[in-house]
Amino acid sequence: MGYRIGVDVGGSFTDFAVLDETSGEMLALKVFSRPEEPGAEILAGLAALAERDGVTPAQVGYFTHGTTVGVNTVIQRSGPKLALFATAGFEDVLEVARLKIPEINNLYSRRPAPLIPRERVFGIAERIGADGKPQRAPGRADVAAHLAEAQARGAEGVVIAFLHAYRNPAHEDAVRAMLAELAPGLPVVTSSGTWPVIREYERSVTAVISGYVQPQVANYLDRFEAALAEAGVGVPAHITKSNGGVMALDQARAEPVQMILSGTASGVIGAGHLARHCGFDRILSLDIGGTSADVAVILDGVPQFGTGELIGEFQIHIPSVAVTSVGQGGGSVAALDGLGVLKVGPESAGSTPGPACYGRGGTRPTVTDAMAAANLIGHGALGYGAVSVDHGAARAAIAPLAEGLGATVEEVAASIVEIAVSSMYAEISGLISRFGIDPREFHLFAFGGAGAMLACFVARELDMKGVVVPPRPGVISALGGVIADLRNDFIRTLFLDLDEAGVRALAAPLAELEETGRAWLAEQGHDGPAAISVSADMRYAGQSFEIEAPLEAGWIAAGNAGAIAQAFHAEHDRLFGHANPHAPVQLVNLRLVVSGPTPKPAIPRPAPAEGPAMPERHVTGWFDGLAHEVPLYQRADLRPGHRLAGPAIVGQEDTTTVLPPDFALEVDAFGNLVLTRAPRA
Amino acid sequence: MIDARSLQVLANFCNAAADAMAYTLMRTAHSAFVKETEDFSCQIVTREGLAFGNPRHLGAPWYSGVDYGGLLASFPAYAPGDICITNDPEAGNVATHTPDIHIWKPVFHEGEIACFVVGHIHNTDVGGAVPASLSRSLSEIVQEGVRIPPVKLIEQGVENPYIAKLIRANVRLPEQNLGDLAAQIASVNIGERKMGEIIRRFGFETFLQGVEAILDHAEAQARQALSKVPDGEYFFADYADEDSPEGLPARVALTLRVQGDAVELDYSGTDPQLGSSLNMPTGGRERHALVMVGLTYVLGTLSPGIWLNAGTLRAARAVLPEGTMVNAAPGAAVGMRSLTCALTQIVTQGAFAQALPALMPAAAPGGNAIMNIRTAARNGRPAMASIGPVGGGGGATPFADGGDGAGGTTGFLRNTPIEISEAEVPIHFLRYGLEPDSGAPGRWRGGLSAVMEFRVSAPETVVTARNRNRSIMAAWGLQGAGAAGVSRFVKNPGQAGEVNLGNTDLVRCGPGDVIRVVGPGAGGWGDPFSRPPELVAADVRRGAVSPERAAADYGVVLRGGTVDMPATEALRAAPRPAPETISHGPERRVFEAVWTRARYDLLTAFLAGQPVSWRFYLKHRVFEAVAAAPDAPPEPQMREIFARLCARYGLDAPA
Repeated sequence: MGYRIGVDVGGSFTDFAVLDETSGEMLALKVFSRPEEPGAEILAGLAALAERDGVTPAQVGYFTHGTTVGVNTVIQRSGPKLALFATAGFEDVLEVARLKIPEINNLYSRRPAPLIPRERVFGIAERIGADGKPQRAPGRADVAAHLAEAQARGAEGVVIAFLHAYRNPAHEDAVRAMLAELAPGLPVVTSSGTWPVIREYERSVTAVISGYVQPQVANYLDRFEAALAEAGVGVPAHITKSNGGVMALDQARAEPVQMILSGTASGVIGAGHLARHCGFDRILSLDIGGTSADVAVILDGVPQFGTGELIGEFQIHIPSVAVTSVGQGGGSVAALDGLGVLKVGPESAGSTPGPACYGRGGTRPTVTDAMAAANLIGHGALGYGAVSVDHGAARAAIAPLAEGLGATVEEVAASIVEIAVSSMYAEISGLISRFGIDPREFHLFAFGGAGAMLACFVARELDMKGVVVPPRPGVISALGGVIADLRNDFIRTLFLDLDEAGVRALAAPLAELEETGRAWLAEQGHDGPAAISVSADMRYAGQSFEIEAPLEAGWIAAGNAGAIAQAFHAEHDRLFGHANPHAPVQLVNLRLVVSGPTPKPAIPRPAPAEGPAMPERHVTGWFDGLAHEVPLYQRADLRPGHRLAGPAIVGQEDTTTVLPPDFALEVDAFGNLVLTRAPRA
Repeated sequence: MIDARSLQVLANFCNAAADAMAYTLMRTAHSAFVKETEDFSCQIVTREGLAFGNPRHLGAPWYSGVDYGGLLASFPAYAPGDICITNDPEAGNVATHTPDIHIWKPVFHEGEIACFVVGHIHNTDVGGAVPASLSRSLSEIVQEGVRIPPVKLIEQGVENPYIAKLIRANVRLPEQNLGDLAAQIASVNIGERKMGEIIRRFGFETFLQGVEAILDHAEAQARQALSKVPDGEYFFADYADEDSPEGLPARVALTLRVQGDAVELDYSGTDPQLGSSLNMPTGGRERHALVMVGLTYVLGTLSPGIWLNAGTLRAARAVLPEGTMVNAAPGAAVGMRSLTCALTQIVTQGAFAQALPALMPAAAPGGNAIMNIRTAARNGRPAMASIGPVGGGGGATPFADGGDGAGGTTGFLRNTPIEISEAEVPIHFLRYGLEPDSGAPGRWRGGLSAVMEFRVSAPETVVTARNRNRSIMAAWGLQGAGAAGVSRFVKNPGQAGEVNLGNTDLVRCGPGDVIRVVGPGAGGWGDPFSRPPELVAADVRRGAVSPERAAADYGVVLRGGTVDMPATEALRAAPRPAPETISHGPERRVFEAVWTRARYDLLTAFLAGQPVSWRFYLKHRVFEAVAAAPDAPPEPQMREIFARLCARYGLDAPA
């Protein structure tokens, strides 16, 4: 038996989650990220684990990794010069996008410039019909001429995205083959190979992003792999995916778009796994960092999935864990507007220069400064000793606002927190409405550096059941990588009427999808059992949108159109509150998810409390502008069974949990802090 | 007490309640109008009807300052659980054409009304003379579908079943209407619950005081922005191509009066109400949302992040003469009021462009064609689809080129993917994208227009291009830029049977017919001869501008893709007419050479003295008379025409 390690590389810190397969114990480690020297943080972390915990690379039996290198490439627009080969007549697909501009009330607003400028888009004379039948085949001379022009204009790679390629990839594949002959070694991406769904802009932009991040991701993965080899880790590594699963390194090189949101997705997977094991079936995960708060809905440990997640200025259309990102975090800046009204965000001090109280050059007051000025955080080193809090600097940054508002620094600090929380409330309540859930049945599962600091304030406004702060909130994403399953999505767009003939036409595509799925799993080196789930995107004839309903494979084998339609009606009724069982149904996409389960750690149960919890000391903290004597506890001193009444502060090296006066805390059997609103006296 | 420290908290909560209403609506609605084009609204309004809570990112952007006062007054009293409905533009002037079904629900706190939650959905069809209920050709509101006067759809929680029966009996796709109505009810119920929580959190009195503070803050922000606009009177007019099929131009005129931190939007000089459906049913209300849309855009541009609600509009009032396009009398058809509303936005931008020449962009051209097709599938089953808007780009700004394909005031629409359209209806697209040379030249170029070309495969196919405009009079440019090109609608382009469809919005086709639509061009900003040659070369490289136009419009000569500087300098040094502050296209110049502002003022004054039902008719007779002798001195000629018409028809002669 050895160790399973998950590593999540973030902007500032790299987190290691280490599972001891023998004991089931989880270790955590945080080191600084080294964006200028990829792989260095891996070596540093492995060295620290060996020294601190005696975990040697040879003992590592499983290694997963998530990184933001793909997202950063898009945000910084630092990818290669690509050419797009589109169907002739439709060369403006990226320029036109879906037309709508980002800020509809601002006459200056424009859509972002595409990642491939128009002069490197070329129309190929080819066409496939909506029925998938080829109408005009691409010609080699045409392709060769456009390739020459593309290369003359500096293209270092080609993205091929033709109309109706989701239905029939033959032309994309043919042009890819021609390019392989004409320009061996030139990177080429096809839209059907990336994610073959109907809607040309969405499919094209996803393929473009895939091609755009590919060189930097591949380069990063090479260095990462070299670092692992150098350290002596003998097992092949896995890479975490946007869909919450993991894949082998070679697939990550070939399909880098799959890993683009892996950090946020892993966090949700980790949160879901932990919460479910600890008995919390319905949670909203809340991951608050410096610039944003990420929220996801998790039912019975399973996140919601969607497409259209935002990468920089672009939406990406591959199956991803659905995460709503709120532009409010610990670094959101507070200021008075031109009329003297206090506003918080959307501007953020980020991690550089950061909050004023971190003493790294920031001078403008942030939400973190408001918490520091209220003396609710900063009573011990944060970020594993990387950051210390200067309360005086926080107060000094807020003082000008207090003067402008004719209030005390503490009152203004309370208002800053209240405004930031109300913004989070606004966004999260939108998410709640979108999914149609009742927050009173949900716990808020708080992690990230600032999640536990603000969670009670957010849960109070949302009227949630309570807040859960796991023992190690800093390593949830890394943990998510360790426990994630091998997982891949497959889709076939069919666009057929769901009648007897239609359902007969499903059997062959389903068999193909299943075969492809099992082959994929084998390629990842998986030899255990495979879990296969099938679903379909369906709609009423004439409706302009589809909803996904789970199917049983047996229905297709038996030609049972009625059962499939019934599954759709039921899902329609669940989501929309009405269904029309007599209306004809169209099946747009057939989907299949294959997964290979990985071993899950037992969640350790710490030794229960022996005697009451003892505060380290008391501090004067301010809630709603009023001073309280607040006991300060160390997280390590809180054991299962301990109960506290608010107000209280719980410090630990990766976060601070703030318990307002109207909340109570209980430590559950797994060491989670469970915070609930005390019934009013 | 809500003060400067806590104002944003209450505002965030109220906007979140409106967001929740919008998300609920989008999640549960049935029709594509809601899901794809977001043609709906949700608001929280005061007890008096003033909107103070709006969704932040969702829904149509026209209604942020809506005043439901006229509808709330429909009933002497409300009880908890009431939900009211209307789509009648003539009741309270909140619904502005029949497809917009509005509902409203009171929010009670301990027996007292605290606010109302309200909203509308554009229903695809509400019956009437034509499918989808809207056509320029309709002449009376009774042709535009069923009208539901204000009625309690649900009274103290008990539904009045007659309303659903009424809808079912009068519309073409009742399941869709009733599905959408169920979504609206779910939406206001969510809004009511959320607002109830907010009122309990803050307390009744504090909530009421805070709501006023939200409106006051928006007003103060608007006034702060407007105080930077130089005082003065700024006139601007623009035209719909036709006031009826094969008709005359229809003018929307605006005198913008800026004084201190307040503005007056005086629409005097706007054409009399029309015998077609381009009328706006504002009831003459001085802050009607539809005549304030342009102002909202200007404020949103001058002060990004400004709160938009009914308080925003307190700094403005409109003058809307009765019996004109912007204040039609009861009975008039109003279905296509969106075309006219786009013109009110354009003239507002034009007036502000004179007040703030260094800040205002050229206007988007308006007149986005909403393309629909009715055809038959291979199996003969009828197939209908909305295949998306085809319009112009955004106007150029003083700092950047206009957005391509969409921008400015028409930037909120989404298109329909080609792959979806081809999968739904048996048509074959030949082209969808951006039309070269369609953005007007300027130091900053107008956005390129969209172009769509497709081939029809079945007989008896009908293609409609609803809301299309600017196929005769082009969008204007600013500060020396060129005017734009016009919209085109052509059957079988480049073939023997090519038909230029002019300004029509409907064409019948058979198998093999090809339809091509090009949106109207958007105006430029600044002298095109001052555009850096390398930007022109880049436009040529990306296919936005042809080498010929680069030379003709920009004075830039390209050789092998790069700028020939000596040739360019020579071309740019050649004499040419002085650039104008506002440049119009040739059709408008010809029209206004006869129909000067002075002549139009005489017409406006004459028509204003005649009965509303005569004005449209008399306008046409006057135009005929002027066209017979366009070079006569205007004043005596017009007086003679007016006297002759009055004598002929037995009308009171003008004083």
